[in-house]
Amino acid sequence: MTGTLVVIGHGMVGHRLVTDLRVKDRADAWRIVVLAEESRPAYDRTALSSYMAGKSAHDLTLVDHDFLRDPLVDLRLGTVAASVDRGSQTVTTTDGTDLGYDALVLATGSRPFVPPVPGHDAPGCFVYRTIDDLDAIRAAAVSGRPGVVIGGGLLGLEAANALRLLGMRPHVVEMASRLMPLQVDDGGGRVLAKLVGELGLRLHCGAAIRSVDTGTDGRVCGVTLADGSVLDTELVVFSAGIRPRDELAGPAGLGRAQRGGFLVDDQCRTSDERIWAVGECAAVNGRCYGLAAPGYRMAEIVVQQLLGFGGAALPLPDVSTKLKLLGVDVASFGDAHAMTAGVLEISYVDNTDSTYAKLVLSPDARVLLGGVLAGDASAYPVLRPLVGHELTAPPEQLLFGGAN
Amino acid sequence: MNYGTLIVGNGPAAHRLAGQLRHHGHQGAITVLGAEPRPAYNRALLTSVLACTLSADDLVLPRLPENVQVRLGITATRIDRVRRAVYTDDGTVYRYDQLVLATGARPNAPAITGLTSSDGGFSEGVRAIRTVSDCEDIPDGRTIVLGGGVLGVETALALRHRGQDVVLVHPGPYAMDDLLDESSGRLLLVHLENVGVKVFPGARAAEYAPGKLALDDGHVLDADTLLLCTGIRPNIELARAAGLAVRTGVLIDDHLRTSDPHIYAIGDCSEHRGAKPGHIAPAWEQAEQLARLLTGHNARYVGTRLVVRLRTSSIDVASFGSPGENTDRLATESVTLSDPARGRYARLILRDQRIVHAVLVGLPRAIASISQLVSRSLPVPSSRLALLLGTSADHWSNAELPDDAVICVCNNVTKKALTCAWRDGARELTNLVRTTRATTGCGSCQRAVERIYRSLSSTTETSGAT
Ligand SMILES: Cc1cc2nc3c(=O)[nH]c(=O)nc-3n(C[C@H](O)[C@H](O)[C@H](O)COP(=O)(O)OP(=O)(O)OC[C@H]3O[C@@H](n4cnc5c(N)ncnc54)[C@H](O)[C@@H]3O)c2cc1C
Ligand SMILES: Cc1cc2nc3c(=O)[nH]c(=O)nc-3n(C[C@H](O)[C@H](O)[C@H](O)COP(=O)(O)OP(=O)(O)OC[C@H]3O[C@@H](n4cnc5c(N)ncnc54)[C@H](O)[C@@H]3O)c2cc1C
Repeated sequence: MTGTLVVIGHGMVGHRLVTDLRVKDRADAWRIVVLAEESRPAYDRTALSSYMAGKSAHDLTLVDHDFLRDPLVDLRLGTVAASVDRGSQTVTTTDGTDLGYDALVLATGSRPFVPPVPGHDAPGCFVYRTIDDLDAIRAAAVSGRPGVVIGGGLLGLEAANALRLLGMRPHVVEMASRLMPLQVDDGGGRVLAKLVGELGLRLHCGAAIRSVDTGTDGRVCGVTLADGSVLDTELVVFSAGIRPRDELAGPAGLGRAQRGGFLVDDQCRTSDERIWAVGECAAVNGRCYGLAAPGYRMAEIVVQQLLGFGGAALPLPDVSTKLKLLGVDVASFGDAHAMTAGVLEISYVDNTDSTYAKLVLSPDARVLLGGVLAGDASAYPVLRPLVGHELTAPPEQLLFGGAN
Repeated sequence: MNYGTLIVGNGPAAHRLAGQLRHHGHQGAITVLGAEPRPAYNRALLTSVLACTLSADDLVLPRLPENVQVRLGITATRIDRVRRAVYTDDGTVYRYDQLVLATGARPNAPAITGLTSSDGGFSEGVRAIRTVSDCEDIPDGRTIVLGGGVLGVETALALRHRGQDVVLVHPGPYAMDDLLDESSGRLLLVHLENVGVKVFPGARAAEYAPGKLALDDGHVLDADTLLLCTGIRPNIELARAAGLAVRTGVLIDDHLRTSDPHIYAIGDCSEHRGAKPGHIAPAWEQAEQLARLLTGHNARYVGTRLVVRLRTSSIDVASFGSPGENTDRLATESVTLSDPARGRYARLILRDQRIVHAVLVGLPRAIASISQLVSRSLPVPSSRLALLLGTSADHWSNAELPDDAVICVCNNVTKKALTCAWRDGARELTNLVRTTRATTGCGSCQRAVERIYRSLSSTTETSGAT
């Protein structure tokens, strides 16, 4: 007997869930309908910036021929789920189609948060999330002109670099006192600031945006900061964080976490036993994860349950990240901010090479708990797998010992 | 050339000079005039007398050779540079071939209303610690220590050690803010409060009246005693009256010479290249170099690297070099250890593998080894963490990556999964990647996977060979 699984969202995690299920579902127990808002099938969003650096949409795709020809997968591009009726177990799309489901997976991802400052929606304002967004930015970019990115996090820096690749002169406005406040500490932030400064990015840290200013034509003509200073620009990219896309929850009577996201348990199940949420839209025990890898773990766990091997709970996700900004390495792994009680931290700054490294260690300094690397992240592949394990050599050797 | 060497002052600097002059073969007479009635003692240990962990006698410095004349209780009052003579308060006149000023310093009294009485002395209840007699009969009851430099902190802890009620008032954001950075300063602050010293940082004394001290932040504190630890003033009056060049201290060159070629100055009363006086290490070093010079040896004094170690049993705090020395942040490397849970902190600034500045709290073993490295200007060992924790580099086993280590996070591939895939026949990197999916996410694990692949290849080859 074949059941119908409806997956809302064909992003990185939704796609992983479908392919994983297709590999493991040897009995063809599920027929899958995938609703995809975007006009193209899933692509590697983490590699989005390489699209600006010359890769094509085709290079980024996650989908192959077998997938598209799979008779048990019904991929509907450009189709948006408008509502979920749990009573009748149907999903209704914006074009009015009703789709019955036996199981439903919400994989709607996130949307960029755009602070509601005056002018935030004027022509000339962009976000940095999809290939379409990048096409729009490319079309609006004017070489030699300044462009302003609001937000100096990981994505903001990628966006700024994209503007640089388009020949623009990027400014980055960050509210916190350092770049990538979530990933690095002050030491790492200083090295990062120096390095991206050398790339030509102009930084405004500890600065809030007051308004996006528009000219008589209604288009963006500048950005005013809280201190009154004005940045002259016709192009603004908002990268001030993301918000889970959980707007289907309310009307469907599904719970939302305090800070947004479909509320699910550690098996990614909502309060409705037929409905799961995975990826960035899922608030696992109340917490959302803005990275691909934790989403993949969620997808795997849900596939297990769909195939009747329930039970596994989501392990504490690894939130390691590595920034791929041209020439500037930044990585953060494990308990990068030393939040675990009783830990010790050691950090190394080399002003000659502009590198910064910090390790978070257990009280006896033997077990690696996390760390931050900036300027040179070549030790990342060595250190990241060691998180939670005893160091295999003195830390300096792992960091600088030319381990290859 | 037969009057010999006359030394004015009988503190540590004078004492070391007199002893070393003989040691290096000084032939002429050596005379020392000391205003204090007791033999020379190590002033830097006075806070231990205050804490009752040492007696005044324990501080006395070794006896000088018989042929050094030491006159105690005699104060020099005037220098006649033309006659090369020094006049004293008992009427005796001492001639010299060379004169050494080692008059030290006295406590600095800040300009606070009510601190001094009409006769110029301290008001009732106000004291300072500079001599052995200053440490005698400190009243019980509450003491306010004014000034949170090294001396203020040591004094506060010493009095607390005796069980006294102690308050420390300090204008800086934390105690010893001229030597410590913020993190170490906070640790010290926490320690002070833990042992029961009440600290008022960021506050200045505004007005004193016996029994009461008003702060500029509005607090009014009860005080039985007000102890001034508000810096020192070099004793330069003799030199100034004699027309020698003085600034804060008596100015000296690299040969420890004042503006008069027959007069030298060493210790707390001197000022060399603008360095701030008040530490015993430069006094020792200057005495040593001057003894060499006056005995015809080649010597030069070029400054002393500042080493400050808080003298108290309850917390280990040390600072090497002054923070200002790392002014150019170029070509330096810094290492910071932070272990708030155990009250430990260290920050090293290195140049060419050598320490230019260091601050350490709660790390006695590291303090000892770093003292050695600094004094001999040796390079630091490659494991900075081992140095700071006082362990050897063997603390970390040269272990293999454990089997359950996740190599590819995007696809949750463990080392074990790679090993298993290899055993199951994936003997090429491409096969290994295809079967496990490792490296196909963000790709950052590429090198790690390659390394495991290489080690699998090599171990299989060697085991195949045997
Ligand atoms: C520039 C950039 C760089 C990144 N770099 C990294 C990185 O280096 N490492 C890392 O781990 N992560 C990175 N990320 C984050 C990573 O891309 C996301 O964590 C991941 O894409 C989450 O996958 P998802 O499937 O949950 O959401 P998404 O990939 O956002 O997919 C959700 C999809 O659902 C669609 N959708 C939403 N609502 C509906 C609806 N009602 N009906 C139909 N379809 C709908 C959306 O249009 C979207 O296509 C990056 C993100 C960006 C933007
Ligand atoms: C409580 C306390 C704790 C200290 N702790 C430390 C420490 O931990 N580390 C450190 O590095 N330093 C410390 N110091 C500072 C250190 O003691 C001095 O740097 C050192 O004593 C300087 O030696 P000196 O011989 O130059 O001067 P002094 O020790 O001041 O000796 C000068 C002597 O000359 C006498 N004299 C002055 N004028 C005349 C005159 N006209 N005729 C005759 N005699 C005269 C004085 O009475 C005095 O006995 C501390 C000081 C104090 C007071």
